[in-house]
Amino acid sequence: MNLGLILLAAGLVTGQYAPQRQGTDPLDAEREARVHRLGKGLRCPMCQGQSIADSPAPAARAQLDKVRELVAAGRSDAEVESYFVDRYGEWALLKPKPQGSNLLLWLLPGMLLLAGLWIILTQVKRAPTPGAPSVSPPKADDDYLAQVRNDVDR
Amino acid sequence: MNRNVILAIVGVLGAAFFIAVMLSFGNDPHAVPFMLEGKPAPAFSMKRLDADGTVNLADLKGKPVVLNFWATWCGPCAQEHPVLEWAAKKYGNDAVFIGVVFEDTEEATKKFLAQRGSSFQQLYDPQSTMAVDYGVTGVPETYFIDRNHVIVSKYAAPINMSTFDKHIAQILK
Repeated sequence: MNLGLILLAAGLVTGQYAPQRQGTDPLDAEREARVHRLGKGLRCPMCQGQSIADSPAPAARAQLDKVRELVAAGRSDAEVESYFVDRYGEWALLKPKPQGSNLLLWLLPGMLLLAGLWIILTQVKRAPTPGAPSVSPPKADDDYLAQVRNDVDR
Repeated sequence: MNRNVILAIVGVLGAAFFIAVMLSFGNDPHAVPFMLEGKPAPAFSMKRLDADGTVNLADLKGKPVVLNFWATWCGPCAQEHPVLEWAAKKYGNDAVFIGVVFEDTEEATKKFLAQRGSSFQQLYDPQSTMAVDYGVTGVPETYFIDRNHVIVSKYAAPINMSTFDKHIAQILK
């Protein structure tokens, strides 16, 4: 059993966990689908790497409630996202917007991949044909080589 | 395209990638940015837990405010509690101290405060709407709000006396 599990067990025994609460009442099917789509794109601050729609953490539930409140108030998708960006920065978005310095994140991998492909292709084109001698034949007038051959033949 | 031009582009891209990686060193990848520093504190109107009535930020106009988000199930909050009690006694005449209970029950909170003391007002935020408005990422978190109700700083860990002194000095100016 690792340390994390021991600490978790100790926390549960001593009551060090947040009581689970129900989220606010769901909206109609169409708006609730929007709430979940928006929630899937927002990062949970207490559970790194998970969206607020997927996390069971209390903070995620509270944030999803806020998304529901904003959707119910008629806010657009961009307005809902900017509410969270205003508080947590672009960190809140699981998929950063392709603008400003974020463009580097979006373009660099593709450009490096293309550059790598280009290097590979140019190297393949320059590769010698199979069966061809890898070393150019010695020149006939190479005096040193001629001397060596004479010495070997002797 | 000229081979040298392409190599130069690859070199520039590689250098950009290297610089981006180097700049990310020293940053905590788990740290959540806080964007409300220097911005107006979000308005709130919350029910008091330790007395009748509600507290509105607008009613505290002209007074510095110390907001502490906490919970009874949070070990570091219990560790921090004596520091806040000390601070409320030391600075209670200069700033308004407000505790905000995060994701907890009224019963557990009242029991905790009865046992460990309560020198300042406590608010109950049952659905954590106020916590989300303030960009809380966990507990304990302490917000220092100046008399114009601008958030001057946030401390996202159990605060100690010397750190508290430094932060509150900024809002008592």
